[in-house]
Amino acid sequence: MQQVTIQITVNDEVYIRTVPANMTLLQFLREELQLTGTKEGCDEGECGACTVLVEGHPMNSCLVLAAELDGKHVLTVEGLAADGRLHPLQEAFLEVGAVQCGYCTPGMLLSGIALLNLYPHPTREQIRKEMEGNICRCTGYARIADAIMLAAERLDPNHTNNA
Amino acid sequence: MMQEGRDWDRLVVSRKDTTGEEAVIGHTQIRKGGIAKVTGTAQFGADVDQPGQLYGAVLHSPYAHARILHVHTEKAQALPGVRAVVVGSDFPTLYGSFIADQPVVAQEKVRYQGEPVAAVAADTEELAHEAVRLIEVEYEPLPVVNDLETSMKNEVLIHEDWSRYDCSSACFPQQGTNIGDQYHLKKGDVEKGFAEADEIVESDFSCGMLQHTTIETHTATAKADPVSGEIHVWAPSQSPFSIRGLLAKTFHVPLEKVRLTVTEIGGGFGGKYEARCEPIAIALSLKAKGRPVKLTYRRDEEFAATVCRSPVHMHIKTGVKRDGTLTAQQVTIEWDAGAYVTTNPRVDYNAGFAANGPYKLPNAQVDGYVYMTNKTLGTAYRGFGVTEVATAHERQMDLIAERLGMDPLELRLKNVLRNGDIGITGETMQTMAVAECLEGAAANVDWNALPDRWVDEQGNLCGKGIACFNKLTGTPSTTSVLVKMNENGSLFIMSASTEMGQGVTTTLPQIAAQALGMDLEKISMAPVDTAITPYDKTTTSSRSTFHSGNAVLEACADIKNQLCRLAALKFKVDAAEVEYTAEGYIQCRTAPDKRIHINDVGKSGILHEQAPVAAIGRYGTSDIFDPPPVDGRQSKRPTVMWMHGAQAAIVAVNPKTGRVQVKKVGAAHDVGKAINPTGCLQQIEGSIIMGLGHALMEEMIYEDGKLRNGNMVDYKVPTFMDSDVEMKITLVEQAHPEGPYGVKGIGEPGLAPTAAAIVNAVCHACNADFTSIPIKPEHILFRKERGDASQI
Repeated sequence: MQQVTIQITVNDEVYIRTVPANMTLLQFLREELQLTGTKEGCDEGECGACTVLVEGHPMNSCLVLAAELDGKHVLTVEGLAADGRLHPLQEAFLEVGAVQCGYCTPGMLLSGIALLNLYPHPTREQIRKEMEGNICRCTGYARIADAIMLAAERLDPNHTNNA
Repeated sequence: MMQEGRDWDRLVVSRKDTTGEEAVIGHTQIRKGGIAKVTGTAQFGADVDQPGQLYGAVLHSPYAHARILHVHTEKAQALPGVRAVVVGSDFPTLYGSFIADQPVVAQEKVRYQGEPVAAVAADTEELAHEAVRLIEVEYEPLPVVNDLETSMKNEVLIHEDWSRYDCSSACFPQQGTNIGDQYHLKKGDVEKGFAEADEIVESDFSCGMLQHTTIETHTATAKADPVSGEIHVWAPSQSPFSIRGLLAKTFHVPLEKVRLTVTEIGGGFGGKYEARCEPIAIALSLKAKGRPVKLTYRRDEEFAATVCRSPVHMHIKTGVKRDGTLTAQQVTIEWDAGAYVTTNPRVDYNAGFAANGPYKLPNAQVDGYVYMTNKTLGTAYRGFGVTEVATAHERQMDLIAERLGMDPLELRLKNVLRNGDIGITGETMQTMAVAECLEGAAANVDWNALPDRWVDEQGNLCGKGIACFNKLTGTPSTTSVLVKMNENGSLFIMSASTEMGQGVTTTLPQIAAQALGMDLEKISMAPVDTAITPYDKTTTSSRSTFHSGNAVLEACADIKNQLCRLAALKFKVDAAEVEYTAEGYIQCRTAPDKRIHINDVGKSGILHEQAPVAAIGRYGTSDIFDPPPVDGRQSKRPTVMWMHGAQAAIVAVNPKTGRVQVKKVGAAHDVGKAINPTGCLQQIEGSIIMGLGHALMEEMIYEDGKLRNGNMVDYKVPTFMDSDVEMKITLVEQAHPEGPYGVKGIGEPGLAPTAAAIVNAVCHACNADFTSIPIKPEHILFRKERGDASQI
């Protein structure tokens, strides 16, 4: 397999690596960087467990080649907490009970952050539509939506939501 | 050092209860271990690596039933970087918890599409898969048993000779047939009961084949030393001790040489009760001179080669008086159980006790049969068959109500078991709250204000449905925990009740905190490892908070005694003069100013240079168990704990598309005591959406032994878009006298009535009698076309 040298910024850290051209971003994160917070669930883009943000956009990291991301910025679950503090969405997930087995959680959090970038005060309908690609088998989804709404409120407390 | 104001402090919620007392139980607590799950540091099965690790890959059979003539591994062996190739003849051993019928890698013949035929360990995962592709197998195809009907003919036997296998006393295969197990319950005389009835109602119901579809697939990393015989496995295992026993037997090593370290578990639901990757990873490691081997199944392997919920057909016949009194009920259950027996006998057994529902029946009979077919293996699935039989007995109750012109809720309330009534095994029932659950579920959807069916403003056909269930927990069973105090007075609880999302690693610390009057944040759960953690039978059957909670209480009582003795030394009084108060004070009876609060034990100095404070707590149910004899299964105490609940559903069916939308589910479950209320609600909410999938979407489709939809595109599980269901849930608390603080289980019960309630609602909405799940849009439109659903 042809090797490619790439520079990728993951969670604000710059990595320069020579990797096989067919290596997925998911493999790159888990095997090359040992960032195992990003999970593999189906390897075909159906479950969303491997969701990360590339330049702020949610992507199934199992469907993207690392070689395509030369020069790009990637955010994974390991990059959410800062200075010993959880991100408000992580905190909301714990507070409202949106975490059970936790395997879908990293992907849910990243999709949730992308959603909040798109709709700072989402409606439940917007949450259901935007989060549809992330499957959870434990929670029944309602508390994940609750957590996103709670985080939205805390991130922008002065906003009044008419929706 | 712990820094003030960090998240692990801030996220502890502590509230006063209604009496103003500080109570830990009965109040929602943030999940223990949650921070690791939201930061990505929690280590699941595939996240664990071992030094020198190889990667495993498996060659699966393309045939459902075939003789293996030859396996050519030469090309794979020759590939540089391949360290071991395993074929069936390398490990001529069989395993299985009820009957040892299953090879590690197929020997002589394959019995389902997806069965492992060879396995490879290589330096990289890609290389292992490349080597697998180089293995050539010569097969002689055999006739395929794809369904119950073919299996029952016994013309093709999947297992030719049951007597060859090592069989436990809890499994009843029938020689010369495809029957792998059977169960028979007999109470009174059903024929007499039918003769006394005014009406006889008979119906059939079938449930489709389901995959657990945990988002984490099966995986195991094994290090097996061929010289010492020591085996160490790292895996997301629901029941580490039962798997340890199974692996020791399979590889002919003493129990104590097998060690299982449990990783975080990315969903279980019964699927991770079975050893799937573990035996193959061990075989590969043994052949690779003891190097660790990691084997992780891909999603397609998860579907084809792990476990599922067996499809099942049920026939039910009921005798009823004109006033709605049930006189007799007879249920026949036929499991389409797949190629190996696995845990099916336990599914058959639990479903057998539950098959008549929570109703007063003077005469009852259940006959359950596990039929082998050339399909992937059936096993436990969140309720051990109880959810399936609930669809049959609850559909039947609605048919009876319709025949008699009664309201479905009224018919159920007339017949439900109440305290002091005689249950299905002749047992005198106690702590029964089924009626309260039915009334609660009904009230949560405003049942009495709604007609059976109506049309909404959008022209959708709407209907209401209700269902209840009963489920026993596996008995007898045993457990033990170790509670040890650290030098600073904090506590570690060691319990093998594994955490797979259900919240047991939060409820056990809550129970200890309540018992000791101690701050919850001072109590942690240790990781689970069979070499270190005290024995627990299994994390199944909704038993953990009940059983391990009781063990924690016993250990805490001992901890209190030890602390009283240490405090007496400091107070310079006789140990008998020191008492442990409900508020957590260790104090001198005669001089109440001499006291230490449990939260201050660390700094009090009483632990210093003293024998460390640690206690074992044990709990078992052998003493209360009255073993139900094989002949009729009558027993005064078949289980330590019955669980009950009810759900009511409101659905809207689009008559043009056949799409069913579940608008509302009202639930009421008797949890005995809600230790962590949010934890109970999480179990029920998750179950409702899972049950919605089972009722309306999910089905593994086999044709001629070939799985047609073994991927997450074609096997539909509920997504966020299906979650727009209004849920109203009531936690009923009818305390169990033997449960810690009155607890009953809630891990499986939430799922038990969901599909049944939805089916009854859809049948009402369409004025049709659907006899199987899933009910997909095409089934509804087909009925419409045929004109046998008057409403559509």
